Amino acid sequence: MELDLGPDIAEFRADLRAWVAAHAPAGLAELTDWQSIGVTGGYRPEGLAAAMADPRYQEWERELVDARLVCPQWPAEYGGQDMDAVRIAVLNEEFARAGVPRVVRGMGEGFVGPSILVHATPEQKARFLPRIVSGEDVYCQGFSEPGHGSDLASVETRGVVDGDEIVVTGQKVWTSGAARANMMFVLCRTDPDAPKHSGLSYVLIPFTGPEVTYRPIRQMTGAAEFCEDFLDGVRAPLANVIGGLNNGWRVAMTTLGHERGGRATVGHLRFEQEFWALVDTARKYGRHTDPLVRQQLAWAYTQVQLMRYSGVRTLAQVAEGRQPGPEASITKLFWSEYHKRLGEIAMHVVGTAGLVRPDGDGYPTTEWQNVYLASRSGTIYSGTSEIQRNIIAERALGLPR
Amino acid sequence: MRLAESQEQRELRASVRKFLADKQPLTAVRELMDTPSGYDPAVWRQACGQLGLPAIAIPEEYGGAGFTFVEQAIVLEELGRALYCGPYFASAVLAANALLCCAGEQAKQAHLPDIAAGETIATLALGDEELAAADDAGTWRLTGRRDLVLDGAVAGLVLVATDESLFAVAADAPGMTRIPLATLDQTRRLAAITFTDTPATPVGPAAGLAKALDRAAIALAAEQLGGAQAALDMAVAYAKTREQFNRPIGTFQAIKHQCADLLLEVESTRSAVLYGAWAVTDDSDELPTVAPLTKAYASDTFSHAAAENIQIHGGIGFTWEHDAHLYFKRAHFDQQFLGDPAAHRERLAQRIGI
Repeated sequence: MELDLGPDIAEFRADLRAWVAAHAPAGLAELTDWQSIGVTGGYRPEGLAAAMADPRYQEWERELVDARLVCPQWPAEYGGQDMDAVRIAVLNEEFARAGVPRVVRGMGEGFVGPSILVHATPEQKARFLPRIVSGEDVYCQGFSEPGHGSDLASVETRGVVDGDEIVVTGQKVWTSGAARANMMFVLCRTDPDAPKHSGLSYVLIPFTGPEVTYRPIRQMTGAAEFCEDFLDGVRAPLANVIGGLNNGWRVAMTTLGHERGGRATVGHLRFEQEFWALVDTARKYGRHTDPLVRQQLAWAYTQVQLMRYSGVRTLAQVAEGRQPGPEASITKLFWSEYHKRLGEIAMHVVGTAGLVRPDGDGYPTTEWQNVYLASRSGTIYSGTSEIQRNIIAERALGLPR
Repeated sequence: MRLAESQEQRELRASVRKFLADKQPLTAVRELMDTPSGYDPAVWRQACGQLGLPAIAIPEEYGGAGFTFVEQAIVLEELGRALYCGPYFASAVLAANALLCCAGEQAKQAHLPDIAAGETIATLALGDEELAAADDAGTWRLTGRRDLVLDGAVAGLVLVATDESLFAVAADAPGMTRIPLATLDQTRRLAAITFTDTPATPVGPAAGLAKALDRAAIALAAEQLGGAQAALDMAVAYAKTREQFNRPIGTFQAIKHQCADLLLEVESTRSAVLYGAWAVTDDSDELPTVAPLTKAYASDTFSHAAAENIQIHGGIGFTWEHDAHLYFKRAHFDQQFLGDPAAHRERLAQRIGI
């Protein structure tokens, strides 16, 4: 069933569908399984890097930039087209339907941009946002530190003002995409004497040069998708401080709380694909007739459909002009806890076959071994399940702090 | 499909909630628990006449109000929240949908207007106990039994499903014996019915019953949603005020996290019930999957919420005096009625081709 979003949106959808059909390079959809991109700890689409290096992807990227369909939610003056969340949702649905990728600018689009749009000066917006749209600036996140994860406001990385520059020194950790990034958005302490939430600043620093070193952290999966970073007097202009000195906590919270529902109706797709892959695996191992396995598969399918129904409901609320609040925490808690359980179910389905890894250098794993191991991270990163439950209890239910 | 609640729907919800708060608060529910019939005929008449609740989703051509199942789901949620005691589910959901999905035109015209008006309390006798239907010189006769019939003792019209057909049996039909049963959940009434050469009118083939039961599954899930929300609300309200160690127990993460998990489950149930109600309204081909998964999940949610509500209340939650056990018992009834979660998950597995 499709949500009735009114004639304007129906027209937008039809136009967009025609545009995609006319502009998507032939063969783009077949390059890889684009819809599973961004699954940390999921299904890793095979050959993603090769697909993104393909001329057809590059051509598609140019088409989208020219059509202002990269960061389309941003104002026109910075490269977007002020697209609202409902149209973003339709955009995601239509791209998924056609099997073509959205070109997304990672943390620059999802984290830095929203904070800049809310807190930065017009000059800062004009300087930083277009560079994110074009892909010139690729950001990584400098929030967590070895001693400070959930208690983010206690970060110790120092930011010292020196003339018209700020000098950042400290250690950050759990940085994904460090190798691709040329910029880092960092939360650092600029007033050590202020209460912990009041002495922080949000700074965009260059993530290049001899003052920056990083090294990969090998995870329990055997892969190394995150880094730890050493910032040794990294200099940035004071104009790179967003929201003003010592106002970083508010800016960072904008980043974390930014969820407008644009992905509400496509978030379940990767889990749906994964579910049917597990059904295939169950059949392959002759496990699909086992009553317990059938219960587990039906449970998993139920969870995926609940994500879909809730997504449609969220979109309906956004279309009514309501801003999603603690729903973002509920969504994150739901899928991350689901995915851990799905990994356990998958290993139950494959049974003792899951005890043996494929041969090869390093620590290669099967698809389900990888899901089983990698899904443990989902309930930890971007706010642990415990933090999400605190947010839900305090902000949605009003329980006392 | 339009999932956002309209102004009209909000007003419907508010009026049903106010009606139940005025006419059948939990103090009244407790009194009804001890009566033989288990319901208040005066409140039932008002619910039918003044509010028109049984008519709500019945098409106008059969004397109904012609709203949709989406509006009925709102009514059911409120009934579930209030632990309403009465034959609404049996008559306006089970029997009405059995007729709508199975019966021929004549039988629909014969029964639905009275069900819509509340003049007839009808029920649907389900089960796999032995029951034979025989054509005795032009009169069909039923012999056998149905052991657990919702509101079977007070119904004026008993619809009986066999593998092939749906039959209508009048309350005064000879050879029908109805024995009210002592229920664990005293807010729901069951009767055991035996039929001995009981004359019955065939109303249609049983083939449509699967759809009727899918609709009923979502309807029951809507009631379960209301019950689960009520249990969560009670737990949260108590956690905010009850103090131990000089602080509200709601400041403890052990309590907070339980409540947060319950909210996730209640909100997910709400999404499924809404989506399912639209699947009924649009006569969508998604109904066969959304129905079993919604019933299974709503059962788990209500059971969890009702159990956790007792735990969060501590000692007072274990008393007869406190209302927590009423929801706990209702949750168990609803979980088992129309198929338990495992049965619905197996049905789902089959329907998605596993």
